[in-house]
Amino acid sequence: MEEMEVKKRALELAKEIAERIKQGEFPEIEYPPNSQKNILFDEDIGYIFSPKTYSKIRGSRVKSLKTLAGVLYGLSRALDHLENGLTMTKRDFYYVHKVERLKGTLFPEDQRETDARIVLMELILGMPREAFSITSDPRGWIYGDIELIDRSGRILRADQVGEMGYSVPPRPENIKFKRIGVKAVVAIEKVGPAKNMIELGIPEERKIAIAILQGQASRSMRRFLRMLSDEGVPIAILTDLSPWSLRIAATVIYNSINSAHIPYLASPEARFIGILTKDVEVGFFRDYQFALEPLTPADLKAAQDNQFLPNLQNEFWQRENRWFLEKKKKAEIEIFKAMSPTAKKLKELFVEYLREKLDEHLGISI
Amino acid sequence: MSEDVRLEEISAADFFYRNKSLAGFDNPVRATYTIVRELVENALDAAEMAENPPKIQVVMAGYKERDMGSLPWYRIVVADNGIGLGPDEIPRAFGRVFVSSKYRLIQSRGTFGLGGTMALLYGQITTNMPFKVTSAKKGEPVYEITMMIDIQKNEPVVLDRRVLKGISRASFTVVESYFEGNYPRAKRKIIDYLHQTAIVVPYADITFMDPEGNFYVFPRSTDRLPPRPKEALYHPKGVDLELLQRLLQATKARTLKSFLTRHFQRVGGKTASEVLKIAGLPPDKKPSKLTKEEIERLFRALKSYDKFLPPDPSVLSPLGADLFESGIKKELRPEFVKAVQRPPSVYEAHPFIVETAIAYGGQIRPTGEIQLYRYANRIPLLYDVSSDVSYQIIKRIDWSNYGIKSPEDEPIVFFVHIVSTKVPFKTVGKEFIANVPEVAKEIELGLRNCARDLRIFLSRKRRKEMLRRRYELFRMYYQIIAETLEELLGERPPVENLLDKLRVKVGDEDGGDGGQEESP
Repeated sequence: MEEMEVKKRALELAKEIAERIKQGEFPEIEYPPNSQKNILFDEDIGYIFSPKTYSKIRGSRVKSLKTLAGVLYGLSRALDHLENGLTMTKRDFYYVHKVERLKGTLFPEDQRETDARIVLMELILGMPREAFSITSDPRGWIYGDIELIDRSGRILRADQVGEMGYSVPPRPENIKFKRIGVKAVVAIEKVGPAKNMIELGIPEERKIAIAILQGQASRSMRRFLRMLSDEGVPIAILTDLSPWSLRIAATVIYNSINSAHIPYLASPEARFIGILTKDVEVGFFRDYQFALEPLTPADLKAAQDNQFLPNLQNEFWQRENRWFLEKKKKAEIEIFKAMSPTAKKLKELFVEYLREKLDEHLGISI
Repeated sequence: MSEDVRLEEISAADFFYRNKSLAGFDNPVRATYTIVRELVENALDAAEMAENPPKIQVVMAGYKERDMGSLPWYRIVVADNGIGLGPDEIPRAFGRVFVSSKYRLIQSRGTFGLGGTMALLYGQITTNMPFKVTSAKKGEPVYEITMMIDIQKNEPVVLDRRVLKGISRASFTVVESYFEGNYPRAKRKIIDYLHQTAIVVPYADITFMDPEGNFYVFPRSTDRLPPRPKEALYHPKGVDLELLQRLLQATKARTLKSFLTRHFQRVGGKTASEVLKIAGLPPDKKPSKLTKEEIERLFRALKSYDKFLPPDPSVLSPLGADLFESGIKKELRPEFVKAVQRPPSVYEAHPFIVETAIAYGGQIRPTGEIQLYRYANRIPLLYDVSSDVSYQIIKRIDWSNYGIKSPEDEPIVFFVHIVSTKVPFKTVGKEFIANVPEVAKEIELGLRNCARDLRIFLSRKRRKEMLRRRYELFRMYYQIIAETLEELLGERPPVENLLDKLRVKVGDEDGGDGGQEESP
């Protein structure tokens, strides 16, 4: 069990530190930092955490000592939660440090301090924070004909657990798939259009699942998509056509730098199906130029930064990105509403677009 | 003799009466402070003249409540263990303004007797009550003399004279007087004055019982008095035309040449002849026979002659760095004090010595303003601090070079003491020192000298403090580590061993190891 592994590693670390102290030496913790040197990028795998250099947290230096005490304290709180079957958010973890006896030492100035400590604990233990009880509020749903067995052993069907589907839990590792009755999963950035597709009955009719990302995909959602991908389910990604959405799509496919040290968050088999620049220029939306939105200054800045992100370096992403810099425009998934005077028409357009795209990018007909 | 005649015509006492502000009596508050100050200065001078460690007792009490027409009246009694005065000296010493003209040069707090007499005169003017002086020399009878001053005639009027005791074992003087004033508003200044005096006269015991019943004690920290100043002749470049005239009138010398060698320092026969040659005056001319025009020629010759040696500084009596520090320590209880005595220097033919000191920390508190104690010939200067040259110098110095971010906000007090035969006051009020380049230079050098020691002290102190803080952080963090490990492993590791290792480092002030560590 992962829980046992966390406990084992944490106690090993504690013993090592205690032993050094017994010998009258200042304790140290060695760990691989998530610096650029230790992170590789491979188009077929995504970000790879490959430690070449190691850092030391030294108990003989004031600054370092704070970190060392902080890591130990953080681990002790995490183990306490684990043993009692309790989880905590990053905010909880911050408050765990806001205690009287830590004034003048580990009492944090703001949450960034304890957030950084969580990443450090991940690097030291080599495990994601979810394994040591620090989870995020769940974000992301999956709707479709997928039968799964959750952590408690219940069998659930992801199109029979509410109108948004199954809410992906913080630790999807514990989920087992019993039966997968869909041809593909379409991961959609925005809640509105995704809900429309569900409300129009498209998943049932077309044998697809809809994954609702709600913005940047959460770590648990990315892990869950990877699990589906590992089961052989084709994953399609549908986002806005914007500089931010490029990153959202690329993060699902390759993982991100910030969480590069956490494995199995990338789904390299997933395909970015839209909205693409060619859809706007010559494809599905070519007659709807008038429904495009102008880029905001923040959007433009994001597009400029995109030129240098390691996971956006191949020709496809850069070509897509150049379009923003040139046209200074973006398209949102809501453009379907601008094209459809009636609900019936909307359904036709959704289906037509998905059929065309899934066929083109994944070779799947629906 | 025309000068003397003029003095007779307008009595000096009368003159003072009409020009009260010149002497610091311009309002009842200031007058209350000035009376205490003048009588205390007199008492200190008397004691120092006797070469006794001064013991000064001041008692001030309400005498008459405030009523429709007047402010309250007070009775002041000041007692000293000074030289004491005989029955004939008392009326002369206290009963006339401008009691003596002295054709000699010596550093003193003021002109002897003058300030004290004016204080008594003020009392007489405001209350029309006589004052009383009780005094004795050692082994002589104690006389008590009750008297007033005849303002028009500038003469003492003895009202009563009695012998209190056949033989006095010690010399002393007690002055008792009544005046109209305002103690509540003068209180702050009077206490400041006594406190600052106690610093610059650390060998004096001063007590003060005030009209509110508070008893202030400023005990001495040492019995050692600074050496008495020597008397000396005037330096030829240090006299003005009027003084030269008066010297020519009063001299017993029969020729100009002997006049010059007898009344001036740094003038021998050869120098005298050279000066007289420049002036175009015969060496054997009788001094009192000089015409006004000849006096001016002599004066200009003295001014233009450039081969006089600089004036003799032995007339000056600085406090000395040790005594200065002793006084500062006892009154302010600082953590650090450094006093410096600069070598003698000269401005406009007046010798002077600057003494500076800096005190830091301990019981000193920052006030948000520059704390500067100024002294001239051992008298504290309490007014117009921001106009003083020392204040301007302190403002100008970049204190960050000496480890002080801003002197206003740190527990630092500056001291500047100038001793001179002629203190370069800027105004007749004698409350602040003018920006004379020679004097300013010495003040700045003195302050910087003290500041260098302060910088060393502060950097040691801050380094110690840093190491102590660092040790404290280590202690706290290892406390957390020990508790956490105990919680995880069920056993508390002996973190004290590590802390002991650090303590060795902290104790070792010059140890290089600590410096390599990151500071918190």
